[in-house]
Amino acid sequence: MTPLQTLPEWAATAPAIVLALTGLALLLIDTIDPDSTNNGLLAGTATLGALAAGGIAAWFLIGGTGMESTGGAISLYGDALVVDGMSLFFTLIFTSVTAMVTVASYDYLADEEYQGEFYSLVIFAATGMTLMGMSNSLATVFVSLELASLPSYALVAFLKKDRGSIEAGLKYFLIGALSSAVFAFGISLVFAVTGSLVLPEVAATLAEGTELVGVLGLGVLMIAGGFAFKTASVPFHFWAPEAYEGAPAPVSAFLSSASKAAGFAVAFRVFTVAFPLETVTAIGGGSVDWSLLFALLAVVTMTLGNFAAATQENVKRMLAYSSIGHAGYALIGLAAITVDGGAANGDVLGASMAHLLVYGFMNTGAFLFIAMVEKWGLGRTFEDYNGIASKAPIAATAMTVFMFSLAGLPPFGGFVSKYALFYSAIESGFWWLAAVGAVNSALSLFYYSRVVKAMWIEEPSKPLEIGSQPVGLYVAVIFAAVGTVLLLPGFQPVIETAQTVAAALF
Amino acid sequence: MVPPQYYLLLSAAVFCIGIFGLLTRRNALLFLMSVELMLNAANINLVAFSYYWGNVTGQTFTLFTLALAAAEVAVGLGIILVLYRNFDGVDVTNATTMRW
Repeated sequence: MTPLQTLPEWAATAPAIVLALTGLALLLIDTIDPDSTNNGLLAGTATLGALAAGGIAAWFLIGGTGMESTGGAISLYGDALVVDGMSLFFTLIFTSVTAMVTVASYDYLADEEYQGEFYSLVIFAATGMTLMGMSNSLATVFVSLELASLPSYALVAFLKKDRGSIEAGLKYFLIGALSSAVFAFGISLVFAVTGSLVLPEVAATLAEGTELVGVLGLGVLMIAGGFAFKTASVPFHFWAPEAYEGAPAPVSAFLSSASKAAGFAVAFRVFTVAFPLETVTAIGGGSVDWSLLFALLAVVTMTLGNFAAATQENVKRMLAYSSIGHAGYALIGLAAITVDGGAANGDVLGASMAHLLVYGFMNTGAFLFIAMVEKWGLGRTFEDYNGIASKAPIAATAMTVFMFSLAGLPPFGGFVSKYALFYSAIESGFWWLAAVGAVNSALSLFYYSRVVKAMWIEEPSKPLEIGSQPVGLYVAVIFAAVGTVLLLPGFQPVIETAQTVAAALF
Repeated sequence: MVPPQYYLLLSAAVFCIGIFGLLTRRNALLFLMSVELMLNAANINLVAFSYYWGNVTGQTFTLFTLALAAAEVAVGLGIILVLYRNFDGVDVTNATTMRW
């Protein structure tokens, strides 16, 4: 019917292949002219690669690659990778965030050394995230998770003469190394119980029952810990404020949006495919009920993130805690899954995915606005933001859009995505999760509106000097703002796609 | 054949030694060594149960884990090097410019 069907199967991984080739091309460009200070070519190549990968993913998604209409998920390399609607949907999130970050880095990195390395690390991390979305075996999950993590450590510590950046990189690395060791041990325990690493085979073995319930439970718990690190959820969240605050702001944007979404992508697949709730609750009288675990983590994560954000004086750190809070909202997608949920399971998981897409735009935009303020040298606290709107009204308008959208106020994308998420949680019978989420959203309005108030209402204590007008940062911030606004009228197709592809997992 | 639960005990012991080292040591290099111990605990499990289940999946994955551990150390040593340059030492508790 469509020309897609004539492509070989491995072509379904084209987004990941394009990203990997882009990373290599960046290294090549950097090798040819290592001393060049003109990063236009590097930023352009990286952005083009990310957009190309995103374009292919969108094309596949519209064409129905790996979905029911064209014969179901495409599984490759002995089931190690699988391309389905969910992996393509997440690829779209990663690539759009990556494109915004690389465009913004054009200005942010203008005076820095090692620009070629920066862009290639970003693209390689994006490759790892795309592979995380496709992973169908615990082995590929672990390898792709590390492929996304290792460049991230280096990126956070990128400003190697800046003590904040080094400290952030160190803490991110230490917690990351710890959690990946815990994650590997969890995988080994699951392997001990089931004798397989491929997710559907793990599920098939577990369906036959096992006597090693304790070992299995511990393994599942440790795997959940690995995902908690990647998504900055309790109990492995404490790296996030430091890493986001100390890292170069575009890297904070990248980590808090794309890296978090990648953690959720792989967590959604592992828990729904390898440990289906009806299977694991049948073993050992329901002692391995991960849905309850995620419900607890969701409540603690969103409450902790929002309360800590409310006490911050530093805008970047406030956003870091707010991103922990949003991890809590997205966790509802796993928490509200029930044994006899049927279609409601796909709905709540899809709503969580749609929220991550909207979040990718609004949160990246907010961090990139901070990058712009850092570029202007205005400082980092709320007081330093006083009166920015009088000097840079367009950027301040964009930031206002991000703040209100993050808080979940109506005419923006963040409102509908949160609404859909809480609504589907209630549909699944988890009205108390939705209630905790709604209370937290109301609280979050307090600290988000502080930024808006500082920018538009307060008078600056000293005269504001805004030197340059960074073109790339403006483009990225405005793109993110337009995306955040357009996702309100355009939310219907997004949520329908997300819920369809999520339903395919069950 | 040694019963499989002994391997689980051994790996759990190695893992716990790793965690203990990680929580008590302040030297970043010792921290890295502790993480290596924890990863090797996972490797013990993978190899032992690969034998128990009669397939090579676990053994192959162990090779991946080893390679990734090496890559992680490479990145980690780079970060520890800049830590040494900026904070005059490899004590992980020295780097505290950010506080909540």
